Amino acid sequence: MREPEPPTRAPEPPAEPDIGTLAADTGVAAASGSEAAVVTALPARGATGPVAEVGAVGDRTRGLRRTIAYILIVSYALLMFVPFIWTIITSIKTRPDSLNLSIIPQPVSFEGWQYTLGQLEPSIVTLFANSAILAGAVTITNLVLGSLGGYAFARLRFPGREILFLIVLATLMIPDPLRLVPLYVLFTELGLTQGIGQYVSIVLVLAISATSIFLLRQYFLTIPRDLEEAARMDGAGFFTTFLRVMLPLATPALAAVAILQFQGTWNAFLWPVILLRDQDHWTIPLALYLFRESGGFSTNWPPLMAVVVIATIPILVLYVFFQRYFVEGIAASGVKG
Amino acid sequence: MTAAAPARPAGRGGPAGGRREALAGYAFIALPMALFLILNIGSTLYAVFISLWDWNFRRGAEEFLALANYERILTDDLFWIAVRNTVFYAAVWVPLTMAIGLFLAVIVNQKIRGQTFFRAAFYFPAVASSAAITVLWIFLLQPDGLFNGIRGALGLNPLFQALGFDPNQNWFGDPGTALNSVIALNAWTTSGTFMLFYLASLQSISHDVYEAAAIDGAGPWQAFWRVTFPLLKPGHFFVATVGVIGALQLFDQALIAGSTNGDPQYALMTVVLYLYNAAFAQLDPGYAAAVGIVLFVVIFSATLIQRRLFGNTQAA
Repeated sequence: MREPEPPTRAPEPPAEPDIGTLAADTGVAAASGSEAAVVTALPARGATGPVAEVGAVGDRTRGLRRTIAYILIVSYALLMFVPFIWTIITSIKTRPDSLNLSIIPQPVSFEGWQYTLGQLEPSIVTLFANSAILAGAVTITNLVLGSLGGYAFARLRFPGREILFLIVLATLMIPDPLRLVPLYVLFTELGLTQGIGQYVSIVLVLAISATSIFLLRQYFLTIPRDLEEAARMDGAGFFTTFLRVMLPLATPALAAVAILQFQGTWNAFLWPVILLRDQDHWTIPLALYLFRESGGFSTNWPPLMAVVVIATIPILVLYVFFQRYFVEGIAASGVKG
Repeated sequence: MTAAAPARPAGRGGPAGGRREALAGYAFIALPMALFLILNIGSTLYAVFISLWDWNFRRGAEEFLALANYERILTDDLFWIAVRNTVFYAAVWVPLTMAIGLFLAVIVNQKIRGQTFFRAAFYFPAVASSAAITVLWIFLLQPDGLFNGIRGALGLNPLFQALGFDPNQNWFGDPGTALNSVIALNAWTTSGTFMLFYLASLQSISHDVYEAAAIDGAGPWQAFWRVTFPLLKPGHFFVATVGVIGALQLFDQALIAGSTNGDPQYALMTVVLYLYNAAFAQLDPGYAAAVGIVLFVVIFSATLIQRRLFGNTQAA
């Protein structure tokens, strides 16, 4: 953040028509209007913020543009949050009240939560545990296989390395829907579509992604060679060097892979829909879809919104604490083009 | 794992050391590579094979059909409805989300208060579960939901009425608005992702360029369209490519909001939903595999066309 500067000029009143057209241009018009009351408090704050940089001529329009920019992004941020806030509010309403637009539940009721925590079939504990087990398992396999592969592709020289790495990257071009049928057929033949096999099949499909290998390889490439050469001089083998010297240095990349994979698997929908047949094995996203499908529950919004809250909270917590790694993961996966 | 650490220093460059290193390399990649070769490359080839047969999930290959499955695809009306919906979705959703993402990136890239907070806020919907978000949006967009309520309260109903929407518009339930609702929903979730891509691209533009533009007397608007926008070409290419690849695979939201038929009236029938039905509702995996191959070819061609269109640029 920059140090606050005294305002160089009185803030311009925001030009209403401009905001309207700008918002419409970018498609945020629909909801930005709904937050008008909150936003009107902001122009003053936006304009007293740091201005300058351009010089006397630019100051006036700059202050105005800054104000407009603030109005737009505050509206857009509200547009991001309002649906989630509405979910939480709805989850503590009674069923008839859930169709009213009152912000304060009348009365506050935990019927929805009681239903979700006590009466779901399968129980929310089962669903949560299933999601957590799968996401945890896939995270571990990606860390282990991704770091082994990433290290080899970054550092060890062996014939065929480039072509094999190219094959790994090429798998990114294969759309998952193409693999639905062949893998379902394969897993059926292997008996992996029943019981615990359903988990095995999902973990196999998601066990290693090219993104994990790529991300870790790129990171290993940035670590100076001196360190591992020193270890090798001390007589450490390839695996010991990897495990004791290189892996600890790659913690940031490992964290990015872990976050990316945990979040991806926790939210996974396509593969669970195909591969998780018994309801005892459902994950939360799959259950949300199937609850919607089943008549009675499909419009009982308070408990349904409670499930949405439960589905979102673990990711929200991860996001709040490890935001940096989310962004690094997505940025790194963006390098692959 | 194969640890077998040698007790002597590994000689660099020696033929023995080189062979040991190669062996170690193969040992390291053996497991991940085996999974890639079986589950990605192998399954793709298997899909080609299955697509040539009348296949049964329990009994396997029943009758060799050569390309008959592919012919059937091209003559099925429902397939073309799915194609039309999917192409429409991609054609509207990708540019819309790119525009919002770029707009957010440009604003958030400036020195503004709460920069980190806004970035985090805009990206948040992208990390939440698609199923949870779709259920949430179904609730918001139902006839007596929050969205209709707010626009009524704001007195916007005449405007919506003029555009042909009911005060109690059933956004996901009306064949005319269902797909557009999915477009809005996914623009909402993914604009933050595109913002991050564009931010990376924006930060690779040197500051000197802007100074030069300022010296030439370019205002901020001109500077954006004449300098920033063209220099973002690699970014546009990357975002457009990722966007189209994702858009052509639209599935989660279509299935959850429209059920297996892509209700109402197939408005949400997408190519992947069509594939899913062919395999798991009509139990015709041979046909579904052929749809998968067609999808792959289309996605691959779209990527090549975009590469042509944007010149031979490297993605940022």
